[in-house]
Amino acid sequence: MLEKILTKGFRRILEATFNDIKNQQDRRDEEEFAKDEIRIKEELLDTVDPYSSDVVLDEDFVVAAVDGSGNSNLVTLDDIRVHLLSSSTILLNTNSTNGQYFEPLEREKIEAELGEQPYLDSHWHSGVRGDAQEKLAQSLENIYPLKDVAEIVMPFFRDFTNGSINSTSDLGKSIEYGKYVKDLKEVKKLISRQQLLTNPIVHDELRTVTELAAARKVLESNLNPKYLLIDGALSVFLHFIRKYPSMPSGFMLRDVCTIARKKGVTVAAVSKNHTIPFAHRIAKMARDNFGDHSKWFCQLPSAEDPGGGLHIYEDRTYIPPTLAVPYLFSFSRDNRPSRVDFDRIWWKDKILVHGDSQATRENEKALFRDLEFMSRDARWYGYPVALGLAHITCKLSYEDMRLAKEIVDDILRAMNQEGRKASALREDYNL
Amino acid sequence: MTLNKDELGEHYGKVGVGNQNMLGIMGNNRDVSVGEIFMIYSCRDGHERIFFFRVLGLQNYIRQVDDLSRIAGTMMVESDAYLSGIERNMLLSVDGKMLGYAEEREGEWKFHSPRRLPDHLADVIRPVRGQSDPYVREMLKSQTDGEVYIGDLQIGEESLDVPVTIPAKFLPMHVGIFGSTGSGKSNLMMVLVKAMIDTNMKAQKDPDVPKISAFCIDPHDEFALGVDKYGIQDIVEAMDAGTRKTVLGDFYYLTTHLAATQREVRRYGKEIRILWNEITPRDLFSIMDFTSQMASFIEAVRGQHGENWISEIVNMSEDPDGTPAGTLRGVQRRLRFLTRSPIFVESGTSVLDDIFEAMETGRILVVNTSLMSNREQFLLTTIATRTLSDLRRALKSSGNLGDFERQAKLRLPPSFFSRVRAKARTFYSKSGNDDQSPVKDPRNLPVIQITVEEAPSILNPDLMRGESVFKDISRQGRKFNIGLLVVSQQVSVLDNVILSQMNTEINLRLGNEREIRACIENASVNITGFENEFRVMSRGEAIVTASYRELPLPVKIPLYDKVFERDKASYKATRTKKKQEKHVI
Ligand SMILES: Nc1ncnc2c1ncn2[C@@H]1O[C@H](COP(=O)(O)OP(=O)(O)O)[C@@H](O)[C@H]1O
Ligand SMILES: [Mg+2]
Repeated sequence: MLEKILTKGFRRILEATFNDIKNQQDRRDEEEFAKDEIRIKEELLDTVDPYSSDVVLDEDFVVAAVDGSGNSNLVTLDDIRVHLLSSSTILLNTNSTNGQYFEPLEREKIEAELGEQPYLDSHWHSGVRGDAQEKLAQSLENIYPLKDVAEIVMPFFRDFTNGSINSTSDLGKSIEYGKYVKDLKEVKKLISRQQLLTNPIVHDELRTVTELAAARKVLESNLNPKYLLIDGALSVFLHFIRKYPSMPSGFMLRDVCTIARKKGVTVAAVSKNHTIPFAHRIAKMARDNFGDHSKWFCQLPSAEDPGGGLHIYEDRTYIPPTLAVPYLFSFSRDNRPSRVDFDRIWWKDKILVHGDSQATRENEKALFRDLEFMSRDARWYGYPVALGLAHITCKLSYEDMRLAKEIVDDILRAMNQEGRKASALREDYNL
Repeated sequence: MTLNKDELGEHYGKVGVGNQNMLGIMGNNRDVSVGEIFMIYSCRDGHERIFFFRVLGLQNYIRQVDDLSRIAGTMMVESDAYLSGIERNMLLSVDGKMLGYAEEREGEWKFHSPRRLPDHLADVIRPVRGQSDPYVREMLKSQTDGEVYIGDLQIGEESLDVPVTIPAKFLPMHVGIFGSTGSGKSNLMMVLVKAMIDTNMKAQKDPDVPKISAFCIDPHDEFALGVDKYGIQDIVEAMDAGTRKTVLGDFYYLTTHLAATQREVRRYGKEIRILWNEITPRDLFSIMDFTSQMASFIEAVRGQHGENWISEIVNMSEDPDGTPAGTLRGVQRRLRFLTRSPIFVESGTSVLDDIFEAMETGRILVVNTSLMSNREQFLLTTIATRTLSDLRRALKSSGNLGDFERQAKLRLPPSFFSRVRAKARTFYSKSGNDDQSPVKDPRNLPVIQITVEEAPSILNPDLMRGESVFKDISRQGRKFNIGLLVVSQQVSVLDNVILSQMNTEINLRLGNEREIRACIENASVNITGFENEFRVMSRGEAIVTASYRELPLPVKIPLYDKVFERDKASYKATRTKKKQEKHVI
């Protein structure tokens, strides 16, 4: 292959592709962006006014962050795959009175409330028909702390129908959902996604629920964070026909958001890698307007927000995600802008002031000032330190996996299962 | 012994990263000193292994930060940047050396060179005195076991109750003690002498314990009365009469003039007198230069007059016929020191018989050479060593007592041999006393340890150009069960033959970089990287290397006074024994 890749011909193929992108997509987007430009500049984009570097807050607060990791192939035994799942919860105190900004809470204290950290678990399923779904449901039930399925599903319907469906009996009486009630009684049936449950999809679902379980545990604990940071977006994928989440994690996310609101915790989902079109143009606009060193944020409104949605993502159905409010932001000149999602229900209650864009802006500024403050660690400048720490403590490195696999071999040997194919599928070729 | 990981010592942290020469230890405690030994507990495939890692250098680093300079850059550019919880992420990176690992197989702990590495996240345990001692003792048994105690295993600033010893069977493979002035060589010699006496006491009761004889040159006359408070004399006096008689005999102290000796010591002393007829031409050739004419002249006289050659030459007045003019005068000039020496005498009672008897019965002789010239000291040591080795050489090449006697007569001055003949036959006979009686293998006789203090004045390449009995012993001593104990302030100046035959080195604090390098090169175990260690060593601290051990052992040599006080009571053996028996009943 290499000699082909190094040819001029290959270059030409790529050049043609990028030209197409430029001609078709970029031109279209450019036109769309032109329509949004003024609105972004004048209404949506604004600077962060940071705390000073030696600030003493009126009230110090706790920031929590959860992140998860995993590996979908710890070992393959014939057609059985064993997954590894991990999550880590980090809690930091702003601790500005002592000047020890974002001091980690004592490990013992965290573990007493949340169990051993980081959390590590495994899952397996075989290739037998229906087994993936069966075993996935079992694992999710095990992992997620709330066991009553009725309680798991209700928060979504409450949020999604703006409170008009408020109880199980409302749900039963509902014209839209009544007919699905029987499918909303067990976790297994909540897996309504129509596509095949491939190994990566199973793994993603396990991982998401592992993170949500960790999030729920912090919210239910006595650790009382002011913020709960999650890695990723607050996306919920709805079943195309049934109009409710096609996977249990969608319901659980709404459950977590609901508890957070009750406890007065701000949930923020941060993603470094996102697919917001024209993020780089918005960033340039910010630099042009506020200077190279500016720290800024920019709301990405939805159709239902004052002024409606933006043209640049009009045809991208997943932006903004269901029941979420996304923003772009940048706290450091060195990084491309990141994205943060907030729970829309919370946002309407705490940030949005109807008919008063000035007051709304004040609320946004206070929110981003806190976010910026928690993103100044020298290791991840511009990215929330709690998430950075959560990430490095949960991640399963190549070396971790190598050792984990060695331990698998040991165990299999000790169990006289040596005959079983313990090592990974053939790696010498990849057809 | 079953191992309980939690009792091994103080839990210090976990292995973050590591290889043979570096360990990143995750732990908060940063109070570590160069020279400390960490134990790393590793359990894989049901096999417990304890790795031993010696700290040679320390460095802090921050966990999960692989690019410290990037962070430093961010801290500079972003004036409001902080580092959250950084104290807890400071890791200790210890440079050092993986010394090896101990592993239990079939109930016995074996020690292996570091072919393996401990697991990631293995527990790092710091040995603690009063807790870890029995475990370490057991695990390092193969590395510390032997008869002759030299000190205790040192871990950083303190030592464990883990005695380090040298097996008697390796003494004939020669021992070196190296250290600058004040590093504790003399104290160590006394500790060694005491250990040999202790071994000989044990040998009285247990036939499996070998006897050790020592001919200890004491150039500063400090062993008998000691450097500080106690000396060997105090052991002698602590003994009950019976023990003293069997273990030490009538005397242990040899000196030039008994009259100049303190009264208590004098009771156990003898004057050093060597008869001219006990000296061979070879003895002289190996201590000073003779032209070939002089040498052939000496051999001619010796051929004609036998053992009385020195008297003959000294009394000649002119060159005999056929001898180039001036030869006689040249030889006489060289022999003049003998005529003036109080110890090399034409007639009288020789002490060589006593030396022979003492060395063949497992005794210790302290030889005060402080009043001798270098040449006298050199000649004395040479004669004693050559006499002892010639006798054992004769024995080694004989099947029975008759053979032995013939062989010995060929090698040794006749009047000396006629005096010791009867004794030699009893020492060397396996059973019976007629000419057909089989003889012992020298390896079943006491180990004889000849110490050469201030070795450079004797064992330097210049003096050893020709054949020297020391070269000979260093190559063949093993066969005759005779070993050299070479004590020197310098390694670099010693003869290579001697150095290369050495199998145990006790390296004390050294004077300069050149000596440190020479010591490291000469060591029987690879101790490259220990340079820093040598630089920070205090007096009485040593690194013991031996070809028969994988582990270079850091040892704290105790002060002689301390061990003497501790063991004083044991020299009155019988009474304590009775007490013990009572307890048993
Ligand atoms: N193992 C030791 N522990 C403590 N002090 C020691 C030790 N060895 C020697 N010393 C002290 O150091 C001094 C010099 O010791 P010495 O044995 O005479 O050294 P050297 O013979 O190497 O010159 C002595 O006064 C002695 O008290
Ligand atoms: Mg000395």
